[in-house]
Amino acid sequence: MRKLILPLALFLAASAGQAQPPSPGFVPLDELNLFPRDQLSVEVNLAGGMLHLIAAAAKDDPDFSGVVAGLQSINVQVFPLKGIKAESIKPKIDHAVHWLEGRGWKANVRVRDQGQETFIYMKELGGKIVGLTVLTFKPGEEAAVINIAGRIDPAQLGRLGHTFDLPQLEKVPVKPKKP
Amino acid sequence: MNRMEDDLTCDDVLDFVEPYVDGDLEPAEAARLRVHLESCRACAAELALARRIQAELRALPQLDCPPEIVERVRREGAQGAQILPFRSPVRRGTGLPFRGARLGAAAALLALALGGGALFLRSQQQPKQPSAAEVARATQQARYALAYLGRVSRQASLDVRDDVLARRVVLPAAQSVSHSIGISLGEAPEKPVPARGDRAQ
Repeated sequence: MRKLILPLALFLAASAGQAQPPSPGFVPLDELNLFPRDQLSVEVNLAGGMLHLIAAAAKDDPDFSGVVAGLQSINVQVFPLKGIKAESIKPKIDHAVHWLEGRGWKANVRVRDQGQETFIYMKELGGKIVGLTVLTFKPGEEAAVINIAGRIDPAQLGRLGHTFDLPQLEKVPVKPKKP
Repeated sequence: MNRMEDDLTCDDVLDFVEPYVDGDLEPAEAARLRVHLESCRACAAELALARRIQAELRALPQLDCPPEIVERVRREGAQGAQILPFRSPVRRGTGLPFRGARLGAAAALLALALGGGALFLRSQQQPKQPSAAEVARATQQARYALAYLGRVSRQASLDVRDDVLARRVVLPAAQSVSHSIGISLGEAPEKPVPARGDRAQ
């Protein structure tokens, strides 16, 4: 009977293996509860297998494909601030900043300019960037949080950033279906 | 009625515990075991542990294995270990050489079945393959996310650059010029509205 402990342990180990831990660069935006989800103008939640499919489908754009192939998740929430008092959202942004800093995220850039605030945070692990989170807050316009997790090469991302411009942003899928 | 003597050692009892819990021990052997257990707390604890493990094993969910996995387990079992017919009860000096093999084979089969079941459950949980349209829409979303990221980062970098230029170039130059022409500029504001940009790294 004691030898049955072995398969029992194997079963428990296999059961534990079912739940994959989140990437260290992943930020649970739902937990942060930054913006009311039913009022988001844009929400993007992409992860795992879908990102692999996107990377495979975009082979004709090697820069984009290369960046996406290294990522484990992309999450975006954009919240329009027109007609909304900035004071109601500002504390939530501050809360998110504290949340990030309390979990080992390092501020790469902090900009406060004419009421607009932008925070760019990075999470490093073993000398490699595993997460990038941007919080931006523009009173009267919009507030947004973007988190990408996975293998991030800033140079590759920078090159890609130059190829995108406003026309790309105009193709924004407004209030897409949640995947 | 004659009371039975405890003629078993603790080592003997360990061989009896499993078949006893499974109900496979012959009545006479079971009686001998019970006599020993009355006076041996260590063996009674061993029996309790065996019962608890059996109960926990029985409480595990019943996995409905698909036929192809059952067939695969059967095939691999046939190729690998020889699965011996169940022998009961285990007797000292006769069943022991087979008992290890039987338990090993049972453990291997159980592990294979559980592993196969876990794989089956995982395959059942996997979402269906997204359509081309869904991938295209997701691609657009990913491009949008990275574009937004690029725009915000670029704007932040420009703000930082402007701030650094204002602090280190424009203001010192203005102060230098004002000093040379004898006009005091005082504490010129860096920007009309307080601005701050700093790089933490």
